[in-house]
Amino acid sequence: MRPHPLCTPADHRLTRRRFLGTSAALGVGAFALPAVADELRKRRRQVLMIWLDGGMSQLESWDPKPNTAFGGPFRAIPTSVPGTHISELLPDTAKQMHRLAICRSVSTQDNSHSAGVDRIQRGDPKNRGVTYPYIGSAVAKLVGPGDSGLPPYVWIKPGNGGFIDKHAGFLGPKFGALALGDGKPPENLLRPATLSAADDDERNELRKLADKRYSAGRATGATDATSHAFDLAEQLQKKVHLFDPTKLPPKDVERYGTHDLGRHLLLARRLLEEGVTFVKVTSYGWDTHGDHFNGAASLHPKFDRPFAAILDDLVQRSMLDDVLVIVACEFGRTPRINGHLGRDHWPEAWSVAMAGRGIKPGVVVGKTNDQGTDVATDPYDIGHLFHTWFTALGLTPRKARYLNDDQPLPIAHDDMTPIPGLLA
Amino acid sequence: MPVRVTLAVLLLFTTFGLSAEPLHVRLDAILDTAAKTNGVAQSGPADDGEFLRRAWFDFAGRIPTATEARAFLADKSPDKRNKLIDTLLAKPEYATHMAARFHLMFLERLGDHPDWTKSLQESFAANAPWDRMVRDMLKADTPGASFFLAKRLENYGQQPVDYSALTRDVGRLFLGKNFQCCECHDHLTVDEYKQQHFQGLHAYFRNTFLVDAATARVGEKPTTTKTDFASVFTMVEMATAPALPGGKMVEIPQFPKGQEFAQPPDRKTKNPGVPKFSTLATVADQLPTAANRDFSRNIANRLWFLLIGRGLVHPLDLHHAGNPPSHPAALDLLADELVTAKFDLKFLLREIALTRAYQRSSLLSKGVTKAPEAKHFATAIEKRLSAEQLFAAVSTATGAKPADAVRAKFLKAYANPPREPEEDVQPSLKAALLLRNDEALLALLLPAPGSLVGRLAGVPAENVAEELFLSVLTRLPSAEDAATVAKVLAKHGDKKADAIGKLAWALLASAEFGVNH
Repeated sequence: MRPHPLCTPADHRLTRRRFLGTSAALGVGAFALPAVADELRKRRRQVLMIWLDGGMSQLESWDPKPNTAFGGPFRAIPTSVPGTHISELLPDTAKQMHRLAICRSVSTQDNSHSAGVDRIQRGDPKNRGVTYPYIGSAVAKLVGPGDSGLPPYVWIKPGNGGFIDKHAGFLGPKFGALALGDGKPPENLLRPATLSAADDDERNELRKLADKRYSAGRATGATDATSHAFDLAEQLQKKVHLFDPTKLPPKDVERYGTHDLGRHLLLARRLLEEGVTFVKVTSYGWDTHGDHFNGAASLHPKFDRPFAAILDDLVQRSMLDDVLVIVACEFGRTPRINGHLGRDHWPEAWSVAMAGRGIKPGVVVGKTNDQGTDVATDPYDIGHLFHTWFTALGLTPRKARYLNDDQPLPIAHDDMTPIPGLLA
Repeated sequence: MPVRVTLAVLLLFTTFGLSAEPLHVRLDAILDTAAKTNGVAQSGPADDGEFLRRAWFDFAGRIPTATEARAFLADKSPDKRNKLIDTLLAKPEYATHMAARFHLMFLERLGDHPDWTKSLQESFAANAPWDRMVRDMLKADTPGASFFLAKRLENYGQQPVDYSALTRDVGRLFLGKNFQCCECHDHLTVDEYKQQHFQGLHAYFRNTFLVDAATARVGEKPTTTKTDFASVFTMVEMATAPALPGGKMVEIPQFPKGQEFAQPPDRKTKNPGVPKFSTLATVADQLPTAANRDFSRNIANRLWFLLIGRGLVHPLDLHHAGNPPSHPAALDLLADELVTAKFDLKFLLREIALTRAYQRSSLLSKGVTKAPEAKHFATAIEKRLSAEQLFAAVSTATGAKPADAVRAKFLKAYANPPREPEEDVQPSLKAALLLRNDEALLALLLPAPGSLVGRLAGVPAENVAEELFLSVLTRLPSAEDAATVAKVLAKHGDKKADAIGKLAWALLASAEFGVNH
């Protein structure tokens, strides 16, 4: 039975209070040894998630149905994989098709944005009376911070930034997202001009000394957690160059585009190069209930060009074998075109694209019926996708468990398995 | 298990045998016996500095000034701790601080209202009994107290009023039972939490509404029928009148149409009217009573949590047979004595503060390397400081008078988001960055007249360490601490204020300063 929506509330309360005792496990200090760092560098596992908030239309992207009742005005074009066509609104992406895998029979449940975003990003595990982490927090926990010295889950988004604890669910705030509002660094990242680096180091050493003395003879949880926060601040401060747009090669700026999604994907590439475990890039405004076709004609190219550019760059840097790339939204859009020439919310039959680590390149899995109104092959829910993605990352979602205190919790929906045909 | 039975019997006898003793003595007896049984080594008593800092944070919401600290440390009288507790309980800061703690616990940063703050402060200043305070909150017909419901009856963005959350919060916060999962079915893992409990509680509130957010005014439509509900699993149709969990359903009186109101609503004056049968008046009458065991156990457990750092039942809102109190006799005793004392909160807080359990050190017992589980209360728990307590401590320590904007920024960085109870120590990156780099905050450590750094720059080098540690950490420096201070001062020569600024920053950023240990 489908869990009642009110039974998986965002503010369910067995969330925090855990994990403080284990703060040191994430400490960056553990990676100070060069040998350890080298080893980790070899085995990086990373994720780039592109979240098109509001819902990209599958009919104008991954699953076009030209010349049908609901197909809309756009054509389908051939791609670099013979026999596979996608919408003409994604010409650059079409040339990347041999690197991509598309699942065209995604069938999820939530028809509203608030429920959909949550359910898709949390992977809809069975209700255990706890709030599950968003996939970014989940991967941060399961894969770890890697060798970057940066927080494992960074979220680039338009608007405000901050520290978004609630994504972490029961994993606790440490696994929340560091959100870079408009790609800008977090507040107070920069050392004030009045404070020299030497002064900063000196006071910080004094702080560490004070903590060492205080924790002697005590339980170390609070001290470790405090140190962790300061260490992370220190590491982040060292990466300030990442946020300086003047350091970007003009050619890259041109290839990615100067709009939000372009700039943010370029920053994402730099963060992935630095080794951040999970980078999510959100683009808003895809909820085209009215004037959908003009909207799509303007929106889709803003995704198409930088998406193709980042795939090229990841390949050029030999990173695509390590980085799992996911393009998702909370749902697709209705085949039916409404009275405002818009498409509405459509979780019943839509598409998700992916590439990179652990994913079979150049494949299309599943299909919708001729009019695109329903899936024509096995439907796959978000739980199946979580199994697919976790497996691609080398995790074992059928076996792996979170430990919420002593309560073992599966990392993905118990009754589901990876989608056949998508994994390399 | 015969051993346990014998011990339980012994314990029972011990408790009864000592019933003439003050409450705090009996509480310690229960904890000590349990520690012995479990083979847990208890830490020794906190030293004067640790106790002083803890008591100030808990009863005045800030640290003492260096002068206040020095006076206490110098006092040689054997009963100075008891005197300090009584002094702090009598200070006006007790009322403002307790109001702030209860605001945090019962509004969970959903919002604030000046009338609400005022009513809480007046209640604590007058030591109003808890049953009366809750009666006022639930009846919601007096300005201030009504804010508990009013805020929860507000629309949240585009969402409709979240009556489910309101019902859940009443259960959690006043009865210690989170019935959230029972809205649609009996609880899946807690047998004794039933859908009837949620729905019965919900029936008291489902016809309430917000009249006016500015004045926190709450209105009520007449309740004339039972609430229908069905489990999503069994689909069996049921109905309930307002009822406390486990209690009898209220008889819903029937009035002829048009005669449901004692005082009819008036659109012109925006008066919502008063129904003859008011479910709010009913719940206010039925819930906060001595006879309601859940009610007294919940608040006793929450007061214990406030001072000790962990509930006897923990999590605080999961009282049920599968999650029994760590020390059942202690919770019974606290709840019973609170009822006997007619819900006198100050009485209970004072007794808890007088226990050896409260006055234990956060240092582990000698020879112990692994901290005993918190539920044994064998070592003082490092308590989370609210953002407000921590800011008050920063202000006191630095001797600065920070602007409201600095306070707002600080609270934002250190507080949890709304609806996230602040129960555990959770240092955040955001707070660390603020403390490291925010210029307005760092300005508190500049040498200004009356500021910590300004003051210390003027004292002889050999006195800096003592004054600094007393001002910031409420204790004397160890020999090592003093040596570090001397070294840093020597290194910076005539840039004394700079050196002191760095030392003071390090202490403000330390874990020791950031928790109530």
